[in-house]
Amino acid sequence: MIWLPDWRWLTIEQTGPTMHPGLPDVWVNLVLAGMLAGIAWVLLRREPGVTGANGVSLARVPVAGGIVRRLTASPVVLMTMKLVMLAFFLVVIYAGLSGTPIPERNLATTLTWTIWWAGLVIAIFFVGTAWCAVCPWDTLANLLVKGRLFWRRQHALGLGLKVPRPLRSVWPALMMFIGLTWLELGVGVTTNPYVTALLALLMVVLATLSLAIFERKAFCRYFCPVGRTIGFYAGLSPVAVRPIDPDICARCTTLECYHGNDRVEPCPTHLVVGRLQQNTYCTSCGNCTQSCPHHNVAWRLRPVAEEVLSDVRPHNDEAWFLLGLLALTSFHGVTMLPFWDTWVTGVSTWLGERSGVIAGFSVLMAASMLVPVLLYLLAVTVTRRLTGITHGARLFSAMALATLPLAFCYHIAHNINHLVRESQGFWSVLANPLGIGARPLSSIEIHIRHLNPLIPQNLLFALQAMLILAGFWLAVRVVRKRLASLVTDRPDGLRLAMLPMLLFVAVVSLFNLWMLMQPMVMRMLGASCGTA
Amino acid sequence: MRRRLILLFLLLLGFDAQAHHVLGRPAYSLNEDSNTPPSMQVETRIGKYYATFMAFPAFPRPKERGRVNLYLRRIKDGKPFAGKVTFLVRDDRWFAPDPEVIGTQDPDDNVYRQGFVFNKAGDYIITARFQADGEPYTIDFPIRIGNPSPVGPLGITVIVIVLLLVSVNVIQRRRLQRLQTSRHHAEERT
Repeated sequence: MIWLPDWRWLTIEQTGPTMHPGLPDVWVNLVLAGMLAGIAWVLLRREPGVTGANGVSLARVPVAGGIVRRLTASPVVLMTMKLVMLAFFLVVIYAGLSGTPIPERNLATTLTWTIWWAGLVIAIFFVGTAWCAVCPWDTLANLLVKGRLFWRRQHALGLGLKVPRPLRSVWPALMMFIGLTWLELGVGVTTNPYVTALLALLMVVLATLSLAIFERKAFCRYFCPVGRTIGFYAGLSPVAVRPIDPDICARCTTLECYHGNDRVEPCPTHLVVGRLQQNTYCTSCGNCTQSCPHHNVAWRLRPVAEEVLSDVRPHNDEAWFLLGLLALTSFHGVTMLPFWDTWVTGVSTWLGERSGVIAGFSVLMAASMLVPVLLYLLAVTVTRRLTGITHGARLFSAMALATLPLAFCYHIAHNINHLVRESQGFWSVLANPLGIGARPLSSIEIHIRHLNPLIPQNLLFALQAMLILAGFWLAVRVVRKRLASLVTDRPDGLRLAMLPMLLFVAVVSLFNLWMLMQPMVMRMLGASCGTA
Repeated sequence: MRRRLILLFLLLLGFDAQAHHVLGRPAYSLNEDSNTPPSMQVETRIGKYYATFMAFPAFPRPKERGRVNLYLRRIKDGKPFAGKVTFLVRDDRWFAPDPEVIGTQDPDDNVYRQGFVFNKAGDYIITARFQADGEPYTIDFPIRIGNPSPVGPLGITVIVIVLLLVSVNVIQRRRLQRLQTSRHHAEERT
C-alpha cells in the first residue's frame, strides 16, 4: 500500500448547487511529483539543450500540403469565415440589446462569455492567432472604412497618420485588458446581455476610429487587448504563419509581404515574413500569403513553445504585458473562490462604501495583481545580485517569458472547467437567440447542468493536472535557457543563479494548483435566475 | 388495447394542455401574493450565509406592484437568519445618488418580504443590509424595470461612426486640395 499525502486540509470546505468541485488529491500528488522531477532535472542536467529552428511547413506535408497551398492561394475560405463570424456578431448585438435579460437564455452572454471567451484561449494552442483573421470587430471596421472585405482599395478612406510615439507599445492593450477584466468581474458584464452588446459596439467604434485615423491596423497592433493576448499566447502554439523556404525570403528584395501589392493590402502590423521570429503581432490575416509572388508563406508546424525557448527578446512593454497576463489570469481564479465575496464585502465595509462594492472590488483587484508582480521583481532582483548581470532591464525582460507558460496553462485549465460545465444548453439558446418566452433556469436545470459536464469529470481533472505540470515544465525550461544565455561567462554559477526564478515559478504553479483544488463558483449560474 | 392506448395518449395530451396552470389556476392570474408566483430567483453566498433572493414579477414594468423575498440561512448549520433586514434601492449606474431605504423587515416564516413600485423604467439595485455575529452584511441584487430600448445604443453607435467617417472624409479632401494647390504653385514657379 503506497502512502499518499492528504491535501484536504488545504481545501476550503464549501459545497453548494453552484460550485464546481476542485481537483482531487490523486491528481495533486501527481502534479507535485512531476514538479519535483522537473526541478531535479533542471538542477542536475549540465548543459541546456540547443534550440534551433525546427518544424515543418504544412505546405510540404504530403496530401495535406496540397490542401494548405490551395487554401492559402485563395481568400474565399477566409472571406466566408469572416462573414460567418460577422453574422454571429451582429446577432449577438441584436440579442443583447433586444433579447431576454436572463443571461443563460440570451445568445449575447452565452456565446460571448461561455463559448467564445472560454474557448478562445484553448483554441489559441491549436490554431495560433487565427481568430484575429476572422475577428468581426476588424471585419466590420474594414467594411465601414474601406468598403472592402479583403482586397486593396486604391483611394480608401482614412488619414493614414502614424500612431503617436508614446502609444507605440502594448501598454494601451494592457490597460484595456485590465479595464476589460474590471468590467467582466467587477461590473458583471458576463451576466448582463445588454452591457455585453454595448461592449461589443464599443469595440467596433474603437476599431473603426483607429482604422480611419491611423495607418494600417493600429488597433490590432497596439490597442486590442484580445489580439495582444492571443499574440503572446500564440508564442507557445505549435502553429504559426512562416515562410515555406526561408532562403527564398532571404533573397527577396521587393518585400510584398510588408508593402502589399496592387491588389493586396500591406501587412497590417508592419511585419516582414522573412524576419518573423515571434507570433506576437501576426494576425494571420492572409495578406502575406496572397501577396507573396513566390507563394512562399503558409502555416508551419513547430515544437510547442519554440518561440519562448529560442532567442526572441521581449521589449520592456512586452515584458510588462506578460506579467499583466499572469496577474490577470490568477486574479480570474481568485474571484471564483468561495471566500472572494466575503473579502470584497469586508474591504468595502472597511472603505466605508455606502452603495455597492465596486471600490472594494477595485482595491482587491489592484492588490491581487500587485502580488505576483512584486514576487517577480523580487526574484529578478535576487537573480541579478547572484549573477552580477549589469543589464537589469534585459534580465527583467528575458525572465518575463517564463511567466507566459504559467499564465497560459492555468488560463486553459481554468477556462476548460467553465466550458465543459457551463456550455450545456447552448444549442437551445442558438435555436432561440433572443430567449423569447424563455423562463429563468430552474433549480433542477442548474443541478442537471452541474452534474453533466461535456466530458467525464475525471478526464477534466486529468487535463487540468497535466496543464499545470506542462506550464511549470515549460517555465522551468525557459528560466534555464534564458539565464544560460545571459550568464555565458560563468556557466558554473548557473544552478545557483536559477534558484530565485525557479522558486518564483514553483510558488506561482503551487498557487495555481491550490486554486484548482478549491471548489469554484460557477460563472453565470452563481447569480442565475430560477423559477420559484 | 388500441382504444386504451388512444385514451392514454389523449389523457397525456390533456395533462400537457394544463401545464401552464398552477394549482388549478391559470398562470396569468397569479400575482405577487400567490404562493407559487413565477419570479426571478438569485442564489448567492455571502460571508457565513447563503442568500436566496426572489423578485416578482421576474421583469416588472413601471408603476406595477412587485415584491422581493429574501431567505438567509447560515452555511454552517442551515439555521435561518432571524434578525432585521433593511432594504434599499438605487439606480444601477455610475455616480448614482445615495440609496433610498424602502423598508426594514422582520422575518415572516423565515422569509423577508419587501414590496415595491418603480415609477420609471431603468436598471436598479436592491440592497439588503443586516448585521450578524457583529458583522455588517450587504447584498446587492440587480433588477430591471421595463424593457431597455435597443435604439439608443445602436443609434449612438451609428451617429458616432457616421460623424467619424464624414470628418475623416472632409479632412482627407482638404489635405488633397492643399497638396494639389502646392503642386500647382511649384509647377508655376518652375
